[in-house]
Amino acid sequence: MNPTDKNARTEQAEIDASAKWPVLVFFGSAIAWLILGGALQLIASIQLHSPAFLAACPWTTHGRILSAAQNALVYGWGMNAAFAFGLWLMARLSATTLRHGGWLFVAAKFWNVGVTLGILGILGGYSTSFELLEMPRYVTLILLVAYALIGVWAVTTFSIRNTENVYASQWYLFGAAFWFPWLYAIAEIMLLKAPVRGVLQPVVNAWYVHGLYGLWFIPMALAAAYYFLPKILGKPIANYYLAPLAFWWLVATTAFAGGSRLIGAPVPIWISTLGGAANFLLVIPVVVIALNLFGTFTGSYSALGKSVTLRFTLVSIVGFILASILNFALSIRGFAQIAQFTLLTDLRDWLILYACFSTAMFGAAYFILPRVTGLEWRSGALVKAHFGTAALGVALLTFGLASAGWNQGQMLNNDAIAFGDITKALTFWFTFRSVGLGLLFIGHLAFLINFAWIACPFLSNRATAIQFRNPPALSLTKGSASEGHA
Amino acid sequence: MKNGLALFLGVFAILGLSWAGLLLSAHKQLGSLSQFKDPVEETLYPQPLSGLADQGRLVYQDLGCVTCHTQQVRHEGFGADIERKWGERGSYARDYIREKTVFIGQSRIGPDLRNVGVRLGDKTSAEDYSEYFYKLLYAPQSVAPGTNMPSYAFLFETHPTNGRQASYQALKLTGKYAPTVGSEVVPTARARALVAYLQSLKDTYDYPTERGLNAPAEKSKEGGH
Repeated sequence: MNPTDKNARTEQAEIDASAKWPVLVFFGSAIAWLILGGALQLIASIQLHSPAFLAACPWTTHGRILSAAQNALVYGWGMNAAFAFGLWLMARLSATTLRHGGWLFVAAKFWNVGVTLGILGILGGYSTSFELLEMPRYVTLILLVAYALIGVWAVTTFSIRNTENVYASQWYLFGAAFWFPWLYAIAEIMLLKAPVRGVLQPVVNAWYVHGLYGLWFIPMALAAAYYFLPKILGKPIANYYLAPLAFWWLVATTAFAGGSRLIGAPVPIWISTLGGAANFLLVIPVVVIALNLFGTFTGSYSALGKSVTLRFTLVSIVGFILASILNFALSIRGFAQIAQFTLLTDLRDWLILYACFSTAMFGAAYFILPRVTGLEWRSGALVKAHFGTAALGVALLTFGLASAGWNQGQMLNNDAIAFGDITKALTFWFTFRSVGLGLLFIGHLAFLINFAWIACPFLSNRATAIQFRNPPALSLTKGSASEGHA
Repeated sequence: MKNGLALFLGVFAILGLSWAGLLLSAHKQLGSLSQFKDPVEETLYPQPLSGLADQGRLVYQDLGCVTCHTQQVRHEGFGADIERKWGERGSYARDYIREKTVFIGQSRIGPDLRNVGVRLGDKTSAEDYSEYFYKLLYAPQSVAPGTNMPSYAFLFETHPTNGRQASYQALKLTGKYAPTVGSEVVPTARARALVAYLQSLKDTYDYPTERGLNAPAEKSKEGGH
C-alpha cells in the first residue's frame, strides 16, 4: 500500500464515518417502508384476482390500498433510500465530510412522520386521487420542510467540495436535488392549493408524475451506475467525454416528455405531440448512456461474480433501457392505441421505480452499509437470496405484465369481446403478478434481516469487522485523467 | 464539467422552461374555457353537477375509483371506445370544466365511466338504473357476473325490518345476495351521493364549436385536438 492510497483510504473512512448515522437512519426507514409498501402492493394485487379479499372494510378497499402502496413505495422507500444514497455519494464525491448530521435526523423524522400521516390519510379516506399526489394536503408542508433540510445538506456538501472536477454522478444528484422540490411544490399548488380548471389538472399531474420518475428516480439510478462501475471495476467510464452531452440531453428532453402520458386524452394535441417528440429525442442520450455504461463493463463481466453491487447495477441499467424503450413505444400512437390504459402502462412506471431505481439502491446499500458501519454482512446466503429473487422477479414481472398488457389492449379494442371476458382472461396474469410480487417481498425480507444484523446496535455486536480490499486503482487513460473522482 | 454555477443555471432553466412551455401555455389556452350557450335551447353546457352528485364526486375520490376506471372517451379511430358504447363521441376539454377535480384516469381494469349515466346499449329501464348501481356497489357479482370489482357493502346498512314495511330505498336483492329474512339493505348517504355522481356522468351534448375537432384521428388536422 503506497502512502497516497493510505491517505485516500483514511479520508474515505472519515467521510463514511461522518455519514454513518444519517445513512443508517434513512436506509432503515426506507427498508421499513419497502416492507410495508410491498405488503400493501401485494394485498392490492391479490384483490384483483380475489376481489373479496379485505373488501369488507373501507380502509382496505382496493382503490385506497393501491394508492397507499404506491405512495409508501415512492415517498417511503424511494425517497428515503435516495436520501441515504445521495447524501453519502455527494459527500464522497465532494471529498468532504457530512457535517452536522444531527439536523438530518430531524429532517428524517419530519419526512417519515409526513409520509405516515399521508398514508393513513389515504387509507382513512382523505385521498386527493391525483396520481402520486394522493396524500392529503396537510402533509405537503411537512414534506417540503423536511426535504428542504435534506436538499440543503446535499447542496451545501456540494458547494464546499474539495475537488476540482464535478463528476457525472454529481450532476445527476445535484439536478435531482433541485428538481424534486420544484416539481412537488408546483404540482401541489396547481392541483390542491389553487387548483387549475378542467383537464389542466391531468396535464399538471402528468407533468409531475413524469418529472418525478424521469428527473428524480432515473437520475438517482444513473448516479449510482456512473459511480459504482468505475469504482468497482477500477477503470474509467468508457467514452466519458460523451457523458455531459447525455446528461443535458436526457434531462432537457425528459422535462418536456410528460405530455406523452396524455395521448388520446381530451387535451390539446400539441401536449401529447410535444411529449412524443421529446421521447423520440430521448433515444440519443439513452444510447450514449448505454455506451458509457456497457462500454465500461466490456471485458470485465467476470467481476460480476465477485460483487453483488455490480450485479444489482447491471440489472438497474437493463431496467433503465427497458423503461426507456417502453416509454418510447408508449408515445407512438399506433402502440399507445393498444397499450394505453393496460398493464403495460403500469409496467412503464414499475420498471423505472423498481427495475431501474430500486435495484440501484439495493446495490448501493450493499456497498455503502459495510463501509459506514465497518461490519461484514452476516449472511451471504441472504444476500444471494435477495439478488436472486430481485433478478428473477424483475424478469418474470416484465415478461408477464408486457404480454398480459398487450393481450388486454387488443381485447379492449375489440368490441366483440365483452368486458367481463377480458377480466376473466386477465385473472391468470393477476395471479402471476401476485406471485412475482410475493417473490420480491421474500427478497426484501432477506434484505431486512441482513440490514438489522449490521445496523441494529443490539444485534450487530456479533457481526465481524470488515477488512476492505483496496479498490482497484483507476487506470486512467490520457484525456480522462482530469475527470477522475474521489 | 467544472463549473457549479453553470450546472445550477442549466438545471434551473430546464425546469423553468418545461413549466412555462408546458403548463403555462396549456393554461393560457384552456384556463378560461367557459360553458357554451346553445343558441336554440338557450341552455349552458356542460351543465353543473347537482349538490348531491358533487358530494358523490368526493366519495369517488376518497375510495380511489380512479385507480381502475378512466373517465375519457377516446375519439373514433383511436381505440374502440365508441364501439364499446362508452360514449357517443370522444371527450372534449370543455366537458370537464364542470368538475372541481378531474379523474381522467389511466387504467382500464374496469370499464370507462365517462358516460355511465346514460344507458348506451343498455336495456335496463330508467327506473331500475339507480337500482342497478346500488346492486353493483353492494354485490357486483349480482349484476355483473365475472367482474373483479370489489364489493362496497360498507356503503350500505343492513337493518332488521321488525315487521315494518320495507324501506322504499331497500335493495331488491335475490338469491344468495339477499339479506336474511326480516332484514333489509339500505344505501347510506354516501352510497346515494356516489350513485348520483355516477348518474351525472354523461356527455351527451355535442358542442358545435368542437365538433370539427372530433374527426377520426387519421383525418385530424394539426393543431386540433
